[in-house]
Amino acid sequence: MQAMQANQTHVGQTYLHPLPVRIWHWINALGFVLLMLTGVQIRYADLFSVMTFESALNVHNWIGFVIIANYFLWLGYYLTSDRISNYHAVLNAKDFFNNYYRQAVYYSYGIFRGEKRPHNVQPHDKFNPMQRLTYQVIMMISGPIQIVTGLMMWDVKRFESWIALAGGIRVVSTIHMLVFILFVVFILVHAYMGVLGRKPSTHYKEMFTGYAEDGDH
Amino acid sequence: MSTNSSRGSRKDHQSVSGLAALLACGMMMAFTLASMPAFANIADGAMSDGDAKCLKCHSRNLKKSMEDGGKLSLHVAVADFADSAHSKIGCTGCHQDIANRKHPKTKVAIASERDYSLAMNQVCGNCHAAKAQQYEGSIHANLVTDGDHAAPVCTDCHSAHAVKSQALYEPVTGQSCKTCHENIFEAYAQSVHGEARTNGNVIRASHIQAPICADCHQAHDVKAVAAGELVQSTCLSCHDGAALAHEKWLPNAGHHLEIVSCAACHAPMAERRIDLQLYDKLTQVPVGQQENQAVFQQRLEDIDQSSDDLDPLELWKLVRRTSQEGQATDVTLRGRMEVSTGADAHRLAIKGSAVRECDSCHQKGSSAFQNVTVSITRPDGRKQRYEADRDVLTSVISVDTVGNFYAAGGTRIKLLDGLLILGIIAGLAVPVGHIAVGKILKRNQ
Repeated sequence: MQAMQANQTHVGQTYLHPLPVRIWHWINALGFVLLMLTGVQIRYADLFSVMTFESALNVHNWIGFVIIANYFLWLGYYLTSDRISNYHAVLNAKDFFNNYYRQAVYYSYGIFRGEKRPHNVQPHDKFNPMQRLTYQVIMMISGPIQIVTGLMMWDVKRFESWIALAGGIRVVSTIHMLVFILFVVFILVHAYMGVLGRKPSTHYKEMFTGYAEDGDH
Repeated sequence: MSTNSSRGSRKDHQSVSGLAALLACGMMMAFTLASMPAFANIADGAMSDGDAKCLKCHSRNLKKSMEDGGKLSLHVAVADFADSAHSKIGCTGCHQDIANRKHPKTKVAIASERDYSLAMNQVCGNCHAAKAQQYEGSIHANLVTDGDHAAPVCTDCHSAHAVKSQALYEPVTGQSCKTCHENIFEAYAQSVHGEARTNGNVIRASHIQAPICADCHQAHDVKAVAAGELVQSTCLSCHDGAALAHEKWLPNAGHHLEIVSCAACHAPMAERRIDLQLYDKLTQVPVGQQENQAVFQQRLEDIDQSSDDLDPLELWKLVRRTSQEGQATDVTLRGRMEVSTGADAHRLAIKGSAVRECDSCHQKGSSAFQNVTVSITRPDGRKQRYEADRDVLTSVISVDTVGNFYAAGGTRIKLLDGLLILGIIAGLAVPVGHIAVGKILKRNQ
């Protein structure tokens, strides 16, 4: 209903990102950056001294909890919305690989030739095959892993049995670090992909307004 | 002339004899007076006639030849014995064998002073059974069993004949412990505990109760100091608010208290090290308590043939092979930060001087992670340590071998640092590469 009304007032645009998703996204974006910076300060206190280890750890922990709460905002929204279809897996492997390949070819070649985007963006199917896989991994695998490992390190005694199950605190820390590296790559690529709209600011704007230009994904 | 002369000579002789007699009397009186306090106890009924009879000879500087060629002093300081806790039970309370035979005519061979002390050690247990039982489980008793001739028996701490009641000991002198552990006692004496004990209520009245050696290490059930958990729980038994106080400012306080010895922070000048104790996860018993140390030593020599510090791979092999070949089933390494020497462990400072800066440990190159040992635990609780390369804490292999010990920043894995750099390069390469491809394609259009 909201989307229909939006479509009525925004010709040539689709209401792609509802308010809860936008709030979640920008809290997440800011939180990720702060978590990464404080994480780097914690791990590399010998190289950086923007703040003390103790401050960095406290800020990291507090933001961590904000991000966890934010994750549940995202999860709660999608579990109660039909837009969860955006995260549904493509069960037909042949379709998935074909579409994935077409999207990859587009990104590496077609985009520079001004070809039509292979994926038709809809509110209930807003991710192209590459995005869909990436966000499935980020939101349903690496995100939860990072949350759980972060919690374990936040209170080692409280999660002692979980840590033992994982193989020890160093194992937990190593997993946390590996996922962090994955997130570093993701953030850099994600920020760059954001400028690949009709104009470099197009996709960034749509994450504030919620409206995406038709045919621009 | 000659008569006069001879008369005169006799007179002189008489006066010399009189002088000698007077001198002798004087000496006897002096000896009697000097001996009076001791014998006064006998007269007062503090000693039996039998004891007085013993001391009649043993107050003298008697010595007995032993089989090892040494001389055993049989002298008993009468005043000390009269003043001792054992004066009530008398000589035969301990020397029952003497009472039951004709003494001193019957000669009993004594191999050595040590042998005699060990034999007499059993006698103490006749009355002090509970204490003797505690002693049997102590590090001191284990050293005795191992044949360590310096290891103390009862009389080494309590003396043979001047045994005092516990309340009369002057703890600050640390006399018993200091005899063998002088450097540790000196460190203690200058510590916050020693100072508080000596100076009383300089800070607050309760400090007069500051611990002496036996308060932390037990008087008879003396445990290996390396059994750090024991000492730590002892610290917390007096500093009962310490755990909560740490919770207020120290992240993961409970975990810190578990893996960092109190002295590692509260003896700020001490050199620290990481000890990795081989431990069986399944049976929850330290390696070494069930397995023969010689077997472990041989395994170690097989793995570390160059006999230098254990490197990460050698440590990994050691853990694996101890699981497979030893009696332990699932071996892991339990890491713990300690101070390097026993003396350092006693140099405890006032609270305000304790290490509080997280960076002290949580950064690469921290002095805390430069010394690493791997240890097995002997049945008596003592640790046998082997030097290890500090890389065992930062190698990627440590994820498997030292999975239970990690200090953020301080023991970070080098390979992950490399992966992060690769990740950043990859993350930047995507836009740079993409833009470059775009430009190339446009140029070729």
